[in-house]
Amino acid sequence: MSPTEYRIGCDIGGSFTDFILYDASTGAVVTLKVATTPDAPEQGLTAGIDHLARQHAALPTSLKTLIHGTTLVINAILERKGARTALLTTAGFRDVIETRREIRYDIYDIRQIFPTPVIPRNLRIGVAGRIASDGTEIQPPDPCEVKTVLRRLADDGIESVAVCFINSYANPDHERQIAAIAEQAAPFLSLSLSSEVLPEVREFERFSTTALNAYVKQKVDRYLAGVEDALASRGFSVPLYLMQSGGGIVTALTARHSPVRLAESGPVGGVLATRDLARLAGYPDALAFDMGGTTAKACLIRKGEMPVTSHYEVDRVHRFKRGSGTPLAVPTVDLIEIGAGGGSIARIDDLGRLRVGPDSAAADPGPACFGRGGVLPTVTDANLLLGYLDPADFVASGIVLDPNAAYTAVQRSIADPLGIPVLQAAAAIIEIVNESMSQAARIYSAENAGDLSASVMVAFGGGGPLHAVDVARKLKMPRVIVPEAAGVFSALGFLMAAPRYETSRSYPRRLDQITDDMLTGIFDELRLQAEAVVAGAAPGAPQSHSLLADLRYVGQGHQLRVRIEQSERRIIADAFRRDYFDIYGYCCDDINIEIVTLRVEACADLPGPAFRPLSHSDEPAEGERLAWDDAAGAMIPHRTLEFAAIRAPLEGPALVSQRGAVVRIARGCRALRHDRGWLEITMEAGPS
Amino acid sequence: MTTSDVIDPIRLQVIWSRLISVADEIATTLERTAFSLIVRDNKDYACALYDARGVMLAQSSQCTPGQAGSTPTVIAAMLNSYPADVLTEGDVLICNDPWIGAGHAPDVFIAVPVFRHAPSDGVSGGTLAGFACTCAHQADMGGRLGAVDARDVYEEGVIIPVSKLHRGGERNEELYRLLARNVRMSEKVLGDIDAQIAAFRVGARGIRQVMDDFDLKTLTDIADQITARTEDMFRSALRRLPRGRSDAEVFHELRDPDGNRLRIRLSMTVGEGEVHLDFTGTSPQVPMPVNAVLNITRSYCIFPFVATLCPELPMNAGAFSPIVLCVPEGSILNPLYPAPGMYRSLLSYFVVEAVMSALYQIAPDLGMAASGTYPLWIEKFAGTRDDGTEFLSHYNAQGGQGAFRDRDGVSAVVFPGNIATTSVELFELEAPYRVLSRELRQDSGGAGRFRGGLGQDTVMLCLNRTPVQVAFGGGRFAEPAQGREGGLPGAPGVICIRDDQPLTMSGRDMMQYGDIVRFSQPGGGGFGDPRTRAPEAVARDLALGYISAGAAIQVYGAASTETD
Repeated sequence: MSPTEYRIGCDIGGSFTDFILYDASTGAVVTLKVATTPDAPEQGLTAGIDHLARQHAALPTSLKTLIHGTTLVINAILERKGARTALLTTAGFRDVIETRREIRYDIYDIRQIFPTPVIPRNLRIGVAGRIASDGTEIQPPDPCEVKTVLRRLADDGIESVAVCFINSYANPDHERQIAAIAEQAAPFLSLSLSSEVLPEVREFERFSTTALNAYVKQKVDRYLAGVEDALASRGFSVPLYLMQSGGGIVTALTARHSPVRLAESGPVGGVLATRDLARLAGYPDALAFDMGGTTAKACLIRKGEMPVTSHYEVDRVHRFKRGSGTPLAVPTVDLIEIGAGGGSIARIDDLGRLRVGPDSAAADPGPACFGRGGVLPTVTDANLLLGYLDPADFVASGIVLDPNAAYTAVQRSIADPLGIPVLQAAAAIIEIVNESMSQAARIYSAENAGDLSASVMVAFGGGGPLHAVDVARKLKMPRVIVPEAAGVFSALGFLMAAPRYETSRSYPRRLDQITDDMLTGIFDELRLQAEAVVAGAAPGAPQSHSLLADLRYVGQGHQLRVRIEQSERRIIADAFRRDYFDIYGYCCDDINIEIVTLRVEACADLPGPAFRPLSHSDEPAEGERLAWDDAAGAMIPHRTLEFAAIRAPLEGPALVSQRGAVVRIARGCRALRHDRGWLEITMEAGPS
Repeated sequence: MTTSDVIDPIRLQVIWSRLISVADEIATTLERTAFSLIVRDNKDYACALYDARGVMLAQSSQCTPGQAGSTPTVIAAMLNSYPADVLTEGDVLICNDPWIGAGHAPDVFIAVPVFRHAPSDGVSGGTLAGFACTCAHQADMGGRLGAVDARDVYEEGVIIPVSKLHRGGERNEELYRLLARNVRMSEKVLGDIDAQIAAFRVGARGIRQVMDDFDLKTLTDIADQITARTEDMFRSALRRLPRGRSDAEVFHELRDPDGNRLRIRLSMTVGEGEVHLDFTGTSPQVPMPVNAVLNITRSYCIFPFVATLCPELPMNAGAFSPIVLCVPEGSILNPLYPAPGMYRSLLSYFVVEAVMSALYQIAPDLGMAASGTYPLWIEKFAGTRDDGTEFLSHYNAQGGQGAFRDRDGVSAVVFPGNIATTSVELFELEAPYRVLSRELRQDSGGAGRFRGGLGQDTVMLCLNRTPVQVAFGGGRFAEPAQGREGGLPGAPGVICIRDDQPLTMSGRDMMQYGDIVRFSQPGGGGFGDPRTRAPEAVARDLALGYISAGAAIQVYGAASTETD
């Protein structure tokens, strides 16, 4: 028998901290949810680990990996709880992070506002020194000036400094000189160099990303130190790993240098788990669909790969309006977030239209049926009225659902103003929320050249399994998979992530102006950097790496992230044309191709956990209840049963419950439970 | 289905928002494949969908108001030239006639007819379902470079009347050759035209999908319902305005050949759910490229009402009828062929100013001070680099928005148009220039209880051995953005080349190696007496350097400029 080897995945979310304990020797999986402790998130984390250690005595000695995702970075930015931070920049450019791109994110909104920069103008200081766009030095920095400025900042209580020089993507020398001076003159200042955080062209994106990095760096540093201390004091000698927004895991040491890469670490878990589950089920193309209390998220996996973007933004003034936030241009999972969740509020707008979300009743006051003072109708209220939710399923979590309150709320706010019966109003709420999720997913999929009709949907989160079939039908998706433990699916995904790190450098040049040797030189350098980081996280593990290039036709502004086989110009050009054709349906043979950014992604090859069924329930608990059927336009009987009790193929209409989620299998759909745990639903004829 | 009657509004709403999302898909594809900086980075484009009669159904969420307001007439003109029975699958229509479209040659409209059933069996078939149309500002359409001093439209580039650019899937090579021979950087321009066409693959598929999903035989009923509901929504929003009449007059610093300042005169009557705007008394058209065709004028007349009363109103044909226009033919806001109009945004944004002024008089809460963001500032640089290659680059950076009754104006923002600024690093890669500085301009925001947004200062150095042609587009050199209710005007605009006298109007010049030019975009006007501004706000502005110590004491009446 192999010795016990535990791995823990831990996702600290807004309300709950989710744990997955995986025993690599047996494949057994245990889940745990504890309340998040927002003021000191390490407390919730250690409480959970203590709880697991009480159940598994061998844990302190047998824990090999702890992988951890956190909302700490995002929260520090949103709540403006970062360090006292200053910005050092090329004289004449201190307003770059304030004047932004100048465009308004909503053409007809003339009163719109933008996020306040995390570094106020009086702490943005211009100094001498200039690099040209081709990287040549025009004017060196003045060490005396820099020394004076840094000392003054340190004296004023500044803790962290972002160093952002114009054109530093082409030549990082000046920024490095500043760092060297700082080490002497103000050793306690924490520095973030734009040429290290994001060595890419476009000053607004690079400066703002670096400013955010500097802003959160100390907080992350202290937090990670706290977690490491807590683990050490409990006798764990396990290294701590962090999930990055782009999908790979890194050591705490690496994470401390580039904390902005942790911003979206939570959602990545669900996407990675989707990727692996879909692959296992035989579907390389999948749509992860995660619907929670306030938002829904969707992410498209093509050919077994998680999409990564560098157009991510945080701190939006309007959460769901693109452009209303601040760019955080590091590799980030490319998903969409939609203001549609169980708590989304339905209302009739000024123009007489039924709207659902993005406002949410959240947990407080919650949906009207929670009886905590909420009087506005939500998606959950509609689901309850339509019979999709069973009040009995909520008893365990201490919530008594009140259908009368839901009825009154829908009647007053929706049915009466529209002049329609309450049940139809509830059905309309579900129709609108499903429509808005599917529309957002459709546009997002078009942007990413996805073919939804050939993809499988993997639905998780509290609301995903309930809405999945309707949304999949709207998207013409033939199949839906609902995993076991849909509620803690994201934490499971952490265990599936391998140590991975991406390095990049902007190298704006036409392909015909460089040689293969120049390309190889840069790629080698990037590869060595990336491999060193991964080796830190997985000493001795075999590694693989991918070369990537952001390419476009000369004169274009949007670049494609193209995976390339070899650092040869001809091969690069072919790969670009092939991908371009794939996405846009044509390509230009007579226009030169140019490089924007070169990237290398190194990855350690470590096996992740296999899927196994959690447990089998022998409890038949099969029954029947009335629930709404769209095609009939009426309440009709639905079979009800436990997820774990499904043995035989199941025909809709049926409602399947698991802990924290209900799977709705509409009429015309058929569901099969796979022997490794998940439920696979196939659509037949769409709604009439 | 028995419930179809009651669920109808929901069904309409679903179809409707689906159509808007199709327009958005087209926009995204266009932006990602475009070559010209002005489309891809500055986002100067619009996309819209129509039914078979040319009635507009939906427009993309990202677009410029001027172009979007012009697309209805384009499809009407296209149907006039090519009625439904001579359109086939694979046709691509093109037009950039300023009087049909958006008032200047670079705004090229391309539309495709969408057929519901493709002819699968060789028989010409399929019913015309509607049109998808995009308008994109092309990098160049020929004519004199940056003809800031054009006297007629012939100087402003090639005009393509409504034509078929593709016939049944075949490229009309004559037209392509004609364009290639007449425009600068033709590779880029034709690449962008191809990008526009490619974007329709997405659009046509999207329209057909919507029709299939909802089992629609035509889009006509949907168009009528969408139009009617939008019109209802708009009229009920307009009913929130007090009925009444007001007059406004806006003087522009540009002067006609007789030396009179250009004047926009407006008489506004708010009626029952509609507004009449009468521009009688507005200056006659001028032999300068600032005349704004009726389409543009209409767009910027509708904009202030939507923006202040119902910013969520979906834009389609129904938004047009409640605003009744009377614009004298042959005036600067409804010029006749062949009046030039390349730089119409030097003037057209002031239509918003006139409407906002009139609106302020009857609904003072909706008022705002004048903005330094109009006219739009765009500088064009063209020439031959030292290595012999050609370049044609734009640099745009904008001034400050006027203050509101209850809020400061935004600094450095585009308004009322909507295009993004140029990245300094990208500009330095494209043009042989070095930007020496680009910062907010201290004291440029008009002082007030609420302060106008700040303008900016950009200084750049020419690094090309051969002289560079520059077309300078900007303004408010003599007429700064005025304040309201005691608010002071913003700082005026300045363009200063070498140590020469500052320009008094937009114009062209050559820059030599080592020449320096300074652009100072104007600030927005303030709202209310500056001495009533909250002392904390004055202290913050001083600490952040938005205002100088002198201004804090003298203009805002701060007791001292000590900060803590």
